Amino acid sequence: MIVYIAKRLLFAAPTLLAVLTLVFVLVRIVPGDPALVVLGDQATPQALAELRARMGLDLPIWKQYVVFMGQALTGDFGRSLVSNRPVMTDVLAVLPYTLELTIASLAIGAIFGIPLGVWAARGRDRTPDWIARIVSLVGLSFPAFVSGVLMLIVFAVELKWFPVISKGVALDDPVERLRSLALPALNLGLIMVAYLTRVTRSGMLKALSEDYVRTARAKGMPTQTVIWRHGFRNVLIPIVTVIGLYLSVLIGNSVLTEIVFNRPGLGKLIVGALEKRDYTMLQGLMVVYAFLIVVVNLLTDLAYGLVDPRVKST
Amino acid sequence: MRHIALAGLTALGLALASPAFAQKTLSIGMSAPDIGQVDPHKATTTQDKPMTGWAFNGLVRFKPGSADLGGLEPDLAESWEKSADGLVWTFKLRKGVKFHRDYGEMTADDVVFSLKRAGDSKTSSFSGDYASFANVEAVDPYTVKITLKAPVPSLLGLVANYHGGNIVSKKAVEALGEDFRLKAIGTGPYMVDEYKPKESVTFVANKAYFRGAPKIEKIVYRFIPADAARDLAFQSGEIDVIYGRQDQKWVERAKEMKDTIVDVVRPAELALLHINQSQKPLDDIKVRQAIAYAIDPKQVASFMGALVAEPGRSVVPIGYLGFDDTTKIPCCDPNKSKQLLAEAGFPQGVTIKAVQTNLPSMLSVIQVVQAQLKKGGIDLQLDVVDHQTFHANIRKDLSQVNYYSAARFPVADVYLSQFFHSRATVNTPTAVVNTSHCKVADAEIDAARVEPDPAKQKALWATAQKKIVENLCAVPLHEQLQSWARKSNVDYGYKFDAAMHLGPIVNETTDKK
Repeated sequence: MIVYIAKRLLFAAPTLLAVLTLVFVLVRIVPGDPALVVLGDQATPQALAELRARMGLDLPIWKQYVVFMGQALTGDFGRSLVSNRPVMTDVLAVLPYTLELTIASLAIGAIFGIPLGVWAARGRDRTPDWIARIVSLVGLSFPAFVSGVLMLIVFAVELKWFPVISKGVALDDPVERLRSLALPALNLGLIMVAYLTRVTRSGMLKALSEDYVRTARAKGMPTQTVIWRHGFRNVLIPIVTVIGLYLSVLIGNSVLTEIVFNRPGLGKLIVGALEKRDYTMLQGLMVVYAFLIVVVNLLTDLAYGLVDPRVKST
Repeated sequence: MRHIALAGLTALGLALASPAFAQKTLSIGMSAPDIGQVDPHKATTTQDKPMTGWAFNGLVRFKPGSADLGGLEPDLAESWEKSADGLVWTFKLRKGVKFHRDYGEMTADDVVFSLKRAGDSKTSSFSGDYASFANVEAVDPYTVKITLKAPVPSLLGLVANYHGGNIVSKKAVEALGEDFRLKAIGTGPYMVDEYKPKESVTFVANKAYFRGAPKIEKIVYRFIPADAARDLAFQSGEIDVIYGRQDQKWVERAKEMKDTIVDVVRPAELALLHINQSQKPLDDIKVRQAIAYAIDPKQVASFMGALVAEPGRSVVPIGYLGFDDTTKIPCCDPNKSKQLLAEAGFPQGVTIKAVQTNLPSMLSVIQVVQAQLKKGGIDLQLDVVDHQTFHANIRKDLSQVNYYSAARFPVADVYLSQFFHSRATVNTPTAVVNTSHCKVADAEIDAARVEPDPAKQKALWATAQKKIVENLCAVPLHEQLQSWARKSNVDYGYKFDAAMHLGPIVNETTDKK
């Protein structure tokens, strides 16, 4: 098992290198000048050139690449071109906020989405099914920034239950932290609920029409046992697949939610870095994203082994 | 069951609702994901500048809420005198002014250090403004002498509490090094307390401020880039003051909000359509005239809304020292445009390509201009790109016309030198943002800068504007005002008519009832 995990992580190294190279090239192809961003539009060419030299942007691109790769391999992603703080300090400072948001919305998705899907499959074409379909349609078709603003108007401005600005509260104040997390997690969780409801529903429909389910029913097994032990266990594989897939999507999609709710997080960091042409920050962020996705994929594969003993993880 | 669930949710919500704070805190919401720095010599962005107005002083200052260069008043300097030729200025400093924290008394050494720092391109974004400084020296601990190579249009403006004129602590700059950026030490009413990346900067009152201890104890300057979130945080009462959108609908809506005062303030940004005469067919004055005749700045301004915009009247913003709008700008006659194009050999009309930023407010305006030009037989094709790409590409001379909106230090010289002097032409070693390749008024711009007689200086600036307008280096489109909203219990302590620092000054007179 440990050998398997180590092997998988080792295989990820070339992927990460490729991502690094691609990002390095891409950010430099896009027009725009970080020095101009820092100095403003009244800056003289002389001042711009001096700043570019200090940023190391005056070197030929291959030299910049060698320097960058050399540092990256030793875990040093340099300093942000705009703020001059170490890139990894900034990224790691906000990473917990993105992770907690993603995990919370995943939990909301699983807690509501899976039972809703099972319920819908059992009551196919009847009220439960319609409710589930409408919920998932709403979840899928509302853009995060629209549902986010609506939630803010109702729960923060009118009812004042939650703050509009989800500030990055320290760990030692769990209540305040939960208040800040509630609306953004619900907003992002709604999308997850929608996906999981759909997958669970269609998986359950298929499972419930299988011969072994009919046999189980025929021999007089209690309905709950038939549904959960015989039906649902077979749906777990597609559910895990969807969770794995959309977890990566969620990490990426959190950007709109982070902006609307003014939460610190990777998404907000990446938008800021793009606007400011902060090359080093973008490079660092991309590596963290790529690494997260590798980890999520690994966890998904490990989960397959857990939910279905037939899948061997060696 | 459902009732129990609802009751439970309500109870949870109430339990989670937080108590209000007791301390007198002013929360200000800014439209930006983060700040760059508090260092006044490098702060160039809309989000960085307001903070410099809270933490720093100059030798003289703009009256709070005013952008009038004629109304500058003593700040760190108590008095000053200049030599007959205008080349030597001597400032007497106020005694006993303390820097924030333990950085000691402000003396002539700090002033000399600050002004030299402001003039060095390695430490300042405004070094160009100080190019005519020959020397700055401390005569004694409370006297500073500035010697100029040549007279400048407004020496007092260069030592005011704005950009390079802000006085920083020499000791702090040397001790803090790179950290000075976010821990800047000045003499102003508020001092930096804590910076949280992507979230906020907190300022606390400088109780030893020389004009008296501020009434508000703390300023929380929050970065809220999403317009909707900023408005909602203001409505819910979490924020006291917000940066407004520069659009009529926002101002109208904000005015309707409960307990809200909207301030629409100067200085305005002037938007010009620069015409690149180095490219065909725009090298022909008739084609440039055709563009001017097709455009109706009044219609452009009324599209943006009368509360936040007015038509541009010259190639220098209204109210700047040296502004002159006596030259008539051709306008509002599409038939005349077609006739001029035919005379220039384009009876079928012309096609012009422009690099255009995707900033929504600017994109909607250029589309109005596009429609006006169409009526005059000019097909304006837009290459819409993100804002940084726009800045990069216009500097590579890739745009035939350039819709550019900017505010500068309120002296005609700055605007004229940066946009219309041949030295500032893009793609040259001394480039700033002359994208029109204008070179007709170099002599007047240079002469006005060093002209000691104010009347003659004004005449030279007027001639420069006349030549630029007649040559149609650019067509004025609109002037856009800034807007801010505050809760009605916030009293700035002065009349907020203008924001030189692109935001309200919070000082010892500002209060929250």
